[in-house]
Amino acid sequence: MIASVPTVPAAPAARRRPVPWTKLAWVTLRQRRGAVIGTSVLLGVFAVYLLIMAIVQDNAYATVTACHPAAALKCQQLAQEFSRDYWGGGGRVIQSGGAQTVSSLLFAVPVLLGAFTGAPLLARELEHGTFRFAWTQGAGRTRWAVSTLVLPAVLLTAVTGAFTALFYWYFRPFLADGQVSEMLPLAFALLGVAFAAWTLFAYALAAFTGMLFRRTLPAMAVTLVVYIALAIAAATVIRPHYAAPVTVRGWNQTASGGWIISSWAKAPNGHVLSQGDLNNLIQHLPASVQNSPSPDAFTNWLTQHGYTLWQGVQPDSRFWQFQLTEAGWLLAVSAAFIVGTVWLVRRRGA
Amino acid sequence: MNVIETHTLGKRYRRTWALRSCTLGIPGGHIVALVGPNGAGKTTLLTIAVGLTTATEGAITVLGSEPAGSPEALDRIAFVAQDAPLYRNLPVTDMLHVARNLNHRWDQSYAQARLDRLGIQPRQRVGELSGGQKAQLALTIALARRPTLLVLDEPLAALDPVARDDFLTSVVDAAEGEGISVVLSSHVLAELERVATYLVVLTRGEVRVAGPVRELLASHGAGLEEIALRYLRAGAPSLSRTEGAAS
Repeated sequence: MIASVPTVPAAPAARRRPVPWTKLAWVTLRQRRGAVIGTSVLLGVFAVYLLIMAIVQDNAYATVTACHPAAALKCQQLAQEFSRDYWGGGGRVIQSGGAQTVSSLLFAVPVLLGAFTGAPLLARELEHGTFRFAWTQGAGRTRWAVSTLVLPAVLLTAVTGAFTALFYWYFRPFLADGQVSEMLPLAFALLGVAFAAWTLFAYALAAFTGMLFRRTLPAMAVTLVVYIALAIAAATVIRPHYAAPVTVRGWNQTASGGWIISSWAKAPNGHVLSQGDLNNLIQHLPASVQNSPSPDAFTNWLTQHGYTLWQGVQPDSRFWQFQLTEAGWLLAVSAAFIVGTVWLVRRRGA
Repeated sequence: MNVIETHTLGKRYRRTWALRSCTLGIPGGHIVALVGPNGAGKTTLLTIAVGLTTATEGAITVLGSEPAGSPEALDRIAFVAQDAPLYRNLPVTDMLHVARNLNHRWDQSYAQARLDRLGIQPRQRVGELSGGQKAQLALTIALARRPTLLVLDEPLAALDPVARDDFLTSVVDAAEGEGISVVLSSHVLAELERVATYLVVLTRGEVRVAGPVRELLASHGAGLEEIALRYLRAGAPSLSRTEGAAS
C-alpha cells in the first residue's frame, strides 16, 4: 500500500435501509406516464361508447321487457328488432356495429394493452443503454425491477377489472335475453375476472420476452402470436375441461343456459354413433326426410327410430367457477413470468 | 483503503477473454486514469467494479472490503457509463427527481445550483441537450448522490474540446473539493494527462502498469504519455505496480 495516500471519507457506520417503495413507485409512474395515458385513452374511448350505448340500449330494452305476454307475436317482434338493432348492429338505430362487433373488438384489447405496456418496460432500457444508469443507483436493480414490473401490473389489472364491470352493465340485456350464454367463448373472456387476467397475462409475457430478447418490437410480436395461440387453445381445448360437462338429453340448437361442448347420438342398442355412422345414416335417409325443408327433420327421424340424442353442456351456473379457474392459472403463469423477468434482470451482465 | 481491488480477475464473453488475470489495487483519494486501446478491457473492469456484471474468475472488492454490486457499494459508488445514458424523454428536472428517488442520499440544492451555473434549463428535455450538457447533467446527478467513488467510463469520447476541458475541470473540482475518489477511463491518455494523479495501463485484458503519476514520472524520467506508450506497445515488460508495490 502506498504510504502517502489520503484516506477516503469514512463510511457511515450503520448499514443503509433499502430505498423506500414509495420513492421507487414515483420513478415507475413517471417513466410509464405514456403507457398510463395510452391505456386511459384506449379504455376511455371504449368506456364512453359503452356508456352511451348502454343508456340508449336500456331504453329500447325496457320496451321489450315491458311487453306482455312475452310469447305474443308483437312482443316477439320487439325482441327481434332489439336483437337486430343492438346485437347485430345491422338495423336502423346503429349503422355500424352492435354488441357483436363491440365484443369482438374488445377481444384485441387485453393483448394490445399488455404488449404495449409490458414489452418496453425492460427492452427499452436495454435498447437505450439506460439500464446502466438505472441498475447502478443506490436502490439496486432488484428493487427497481420489482417496482417497474409490479406497479403497472397492479394498475393494469385494476383498471381492466373496472372496465369489465362497465362492459357487463352494457352487455347484460343480451345475457338476460338468452341471446348469449355467458359461458360462450365470445362472452366469457370479456366478463368476470377473465378480461383482467388475460390482460395481466399479456403484460407479463411481453415484459418477460422484452427482457429475454432485449428488443421491444420482437417482444410485442412474440407476445401477440403466443397470446392468440393460447387464447384459442383456452377457448377450444382447455376451458371445456375445467369441470366434467353435464349430459343433457336432446340436441338444442340455441345455446341458452349454457355452453354446448359436444353432441352425440346413441343407437337403439345404446351404442354411441361415430361420425361415420351418422354420415352413413344421412346417406340412407328416405327421400322425404332428405328433401324436407325443416331443419329438425333429421333429428325427428332419429328419435322416431329409437335413437337418443345427447349433449355435453357447461351450464351458466358454473360461470364463476370457470372464471376463477381461468383467472387462477393465468395469474399463476403471469406471476411466474414476472418472477422470471426479475431473475433475468438479476443475472444479466452488462 | 483501496477503492477498487482485484485479484486475478477475469471476464470471458463466450470464447474471448475481455479481462484476464487482472490484479490491481487502486488507492483512494486519487484521480485515476485507466488507459488502454479500444477493447483492452477498461469497460469490462469498470462494469464489474460498479456491479453491472459479474466476473468469470478471480475476486474484486470495492471501497475497502465491499463486494462489488452490494447495496453498500451501489449506494456509495456513482457510475456514468459511456455516452452518459439518461432518460431522453424526461425534462431535466424530472430526470433529477428520478435519480433522487432511486437513491438514499441526494443533494438537491447542490444539483440545482450546479445546473444553474452550467446554464442547463430545468424544463429542457434530456434528449435536447448538447453532448457537453448531457455529460455535465450525468456528472451532476452522479455528484449529487454524494458518492465516495465516482466511476466515469470514457466520459470525454463524445465531447468537443471545450466541453472536455469544462468536464475535466468539474471532475477535478469535485475530487478536490469534496474528497471524492475518481476513476476515468479513456483510450487517449493525452486527455487525462493534466488531471490524473494515478495511472493504470491496460492492454489486451491485462494490467501493464499501475502507479501514482508522480512516482512514474520520477522513476522513468519521461513524460506520462511516453511512459504509457512504452507499456502499450506489444512486448512491453509487464511491470505491474499493484497492491503492495513499493514506492
